[in-house]
Amino acid sequence: MVNLTINGTQVAVEKDATIYDAAKACGIKIPILCHDKKLHPFGGCRMCLVEVEQMKGRLIPACTTPVTEGMIVQTTTDEIVKARKLVLELLLLKHPIDCPVCDAAGDCDLQNLTFEYKVNTNRFVDEKFNHEIDYDNPLIERDMNRCIHCGKCARICDEIVSYGAYTFINRGIEAKMGTEFDGPLNCEFCGSCVSVCPVGALNSRPFKFKARWWALQKTKSVCSYCGTGCQLTLGTKDGKVLTTVYDENQGFHNGQLCTRGRFGYQFVNSAKRLTTPLVKKNGKLQEASWEEALEVVTSRLSAGKSDPASVAALATPRLTNEELFLFEKLFRGTIGTDNIDHSAGYAHAALTKGAKASFGVAASPSEIADIQKSNLLLVVKSDAYETHPVIGFEMNLGVKRKGIDLRIVSDKKGKLTRLPGAKTTVHTPGSEVALFNALCKSIIDQGLAAEGVAGLAELKAAVADATAEKAGVTAEEIAALAKDYAAAEKALIILPIGLGYPGHDAALANAAANLAILTGKIGKEGCGLLIMGEKNNSQGAADLGIYPKSTGLSASAIIEGCGNGNIKTLFVAGENPVVSYPNRQKVEKALENVEFMVVADLFLTETAQLADVVLPACSFAEKSGTFTSLGRRVQMVRKAVPAVGLAKSDFEILNTLSAAIGGARYNNQAEIFTEIASTVPAYQGLTQGKLGDEGVVLPVTVSAKLVPAVAKAVAPVAGKLALLTGSALYHSGTMSRFGEGPMYVCPTAYAELSMADAASLKIAEGDMVTVTSATGSVQVAAKVGKRVPQGTVFAPYHFGEGSVNSITDGAAVTYVTVAKK
Amino acid sequence: MSNAPAEEIPAEEIDLAEANHIIDKYLTLPGNLMPVLQGIQDSYGYVPKPTIDLVAERLNVYPSQIYGVLTFYAQFHLKPRGRYIIRVCVGTACHVQGAERIVETFFGRLGIGHAETTPDLRYTFEKVACLGACGMAPLAMVNDDTYGKMTVQKVDEIVETYNQRPMK
Repeated sequence: MVNLTINGTQVAVEKDATIYDAAKACGIKIPILCHDKKLHPFGGCRMCLVEVEQMKGRLIPACTTPVTEGMIVQTTTDEIVKARKLVLELLLLKHPIDCPVCDAAGDCDLQNLTFEYKVNTNRFVDEKFNHEIDYDNPLIERDMNRCIHCGKCARICDEIVSYGAYTFINRGIEAKMGTEFDGPLNCEFCGSCVSVCPVGALNSRPFKFKARWWALQKTKSVCSYCGTGCQLTLGTKDGKVLTTVYDENQGFHNGQLCTRGRFGYQFVNSAKRLTTPLVKKNGKLQEASWEEALEVVTSRLSAGKSDPASVAALATPRLTNEELFLFEKLFRGTIGTDNIDHSAGYAHAALTKGAKASFGVAASPSEIADIQKSNLLLVVKSDAYETHPVIGFEMNLGVKRKGIDLRIVSDKKGKLTRLPGAKTTVHTPGSEVALFNALCKSIIDQGLAAEGVAGLAELKAAVADATAEKAGVTAEEIAALAKDYAAAEKALIILPIGLGYPGHDAALANAAANLAILTGKIGKEGCGLLIMGEKNNSQGAADLGIYPKSTGLSASAIIEGCGNGNIKTLFVAGENPVVSYPNRQKVEKALENVEFMVVADLFLTETAQLADVVLPACSFAEKSGTFTSLGRRVQMVRKAVPAVGLAKSDFEILNTLSAAIGGARYNNQAEIFTEIASTVPAYQGLTQGKLGDEGVVLPVTVSAKLVPAVAKAVAPVAGKLALLTGSALYHSGTMSRFGEGPMYVCPTAYAELSMADAASLKIAEGDMVTVTSATGSVQVAAKVGKRVPQGTVFAPYHFGEGSVNSITDGAAVTYVTVAKK
Repeated sequence: MSNAPAEEIPAEEIDLAEANHIIDKYLTLPGNLMPVLQGIQDSYGYVPKPTIDLVAERLNVYPSQIYGVLTFYAQFHLKPRGRYIIRVCVGTACHVQGAERIVETFFGRLGIGHAETTPDLRYTFEKVACLGACGMAPLAMVNDDTYGKMTVQKVDEIVETYNQRPMK
């Protein structure tokens, strides 16, 4: 610790602190424009000038000057105030005073400091800038006339996002923040630059002219897309979500969001939202009252009580814990069917089954915070950035700031593979388990296994025939990777799972867990396995038992049952099997065949269109409750706007139905949380009040066990390409299709080919191609790139039009032919 | 990444072999961006866009940052330059000796202005602040050749001379 005096106050801070940090620690505010706690110090704006007794004669920038023992600092002498006023005068010389039409007004650091320092005249006169404003994309407006050259946008884009869209271009008075060749912005549109811009140079276009800053009501909540569990603040007015508000003190991610979090909120107030119940009459869905719709559903569910095996229910892991609990209670409890599931059978098996077998707990044994504490990250699939971008930011930071080694095992390359020092092992499609088995074998053969691991002999026998060739990589690569992993003091395996990743199943979780257990990299800080659940409450769905527990049918078996008539009543809460479950034709047929289907959803999805009754449900912004993130953090979701139209939350819908058929009735969702806390062991002792703004990380007791994983052989088919499915950047399930941000970055389905395959098939970027498998065929636009290796084709799964599940059937790899339309 | 319409710029036909060769030379050197860009500038006479993409890819540097470096230093050029670079000093000594008339004469003779290049890529003309030989004012340079005590008549002679020189 270093002791110093600031404005007469004694303070002791860490030795790597700056004067600015030290002042902040003792509650003294030093004005800043270019400084941000998340970024490297820059020292560009000169607002933070202070006086240091030992360095008399000049003013010192507080944000870049490290503290030294015995330093005596003054932060507000007359001379300092004069200097700061001068800085403001010089900035205002070029800055247009167009505050009345600037969206940043009220949230503008320059405006606030001008006010605070009473700069009401300017001794200088000059022309303003006359840069062209970039309106080229619908999300981020760049008005460089307002820019004060703090460089934060360029730094955040480099240091955290690792995209590098911005740079200072030109020199002297002509210098400005620009892009490559000074062209329009063409990036991932995560909006990180908008969030840190201290003035109105970078604006969120969807929010433009929507509301004055001070008129917004701000509600803290949690993002409802992926499982990362980013906290966000919703800015609302007149019952509408108008923007997300950046708060640098929110969450582990310091307010950082990705495109879908920041610009994807429009689905809440989308004109496509369902606003009234629909009941099928004469073969057509027609508007109905809640009484009418619920009566139909109640009578079906009551009848189902006498034949529970004919009732099945699917819930989306986007619901709150309270809703999922009520869902489970209604179907498994009151009706008595075990045919309940979420997309687990297809996607989260790694979480529910794999982790349970390997760690004795159906959850990630590690937390998100472990990423930065690790020495080596072993990431399965380069897509980890696409599926969970904010976790991608954490990885970027770890690699760039702390020099964490990054190893990627993937069937294709991506943004992560370009991080400094990243080493990528590209394996053949569908051979992830084989690869991990080969790694385990290599660890054992090289004598790198930790001493006294139980079950080592069995695992040794199980992986005896595992070879690097089975994963299509060289033995040297495997040996080197195994050695690096074992040698790292702390190593963390990161595994994305989700509907788009059929190969990421329980066996893969076991295989990856084996590697961690074998080398003793479990149960310690910075070690273990982070299983990245796809949806915002995937972990909650696993915790609350939304899967068949004994003889019940899993999601795929439920669809099967609908097809063969065994299932007569199907309740679908928010799932969209038609677009997201494998083999679309089969799913559609089954759902058309089922006698009675109820769908509660925000939109008239492809699945809802087939329903007999459609109930309009509420989005996360219209209800309160809790979500549990993939890092096991339980966080409060808070109601920010009233329900759209006649929509009701799934809590209200399930509560009414439950009471009507003789089940439990709750007064409010908080009551359910109390019950969860008393019945679900991990949640014991929690109350919603205790969660606060930060949330609470659920405790986990890991009892690690080696579970041999069987690698399914995937035989390549001559003359065909291996189809890899997955997530497109910033999409999440099928809901992100209703958000402006994700839809701008990636509006339609596509198939990405390698340059070599594209050349031999004579396909160019943008051509319409037909992708055909044994299951069916689909027409999408082609993309050609360097990310996909030869012999493979990648297609994201989110889209209704050209949906990739028309050609997949749930196998880890589907072999397809691609031809120009 | 994005669906922003790509600008319809016809791709420049550039042989990247030389650029690859230059990158190979400096690939493992820390801080290699400057020597690589200088090498490319020397070899191609300017820094063509395809080479920027290549450097970005091979050195793993953002294209935007490379563009920032290229626009910061006056030594880099993003457009093709003439085979012969005519530089006329307009520093103090040359100015008082009538440099402006020399400049005007070159403009009229070549049909181009300051920092411009003739369409046949033979000449690029630049006014510069000082060439460091004030005793010879007014001064002009063509590539590495120096022409002191410039006169309006000499302008014609210089242009005639270099019109006869080969382009390669």
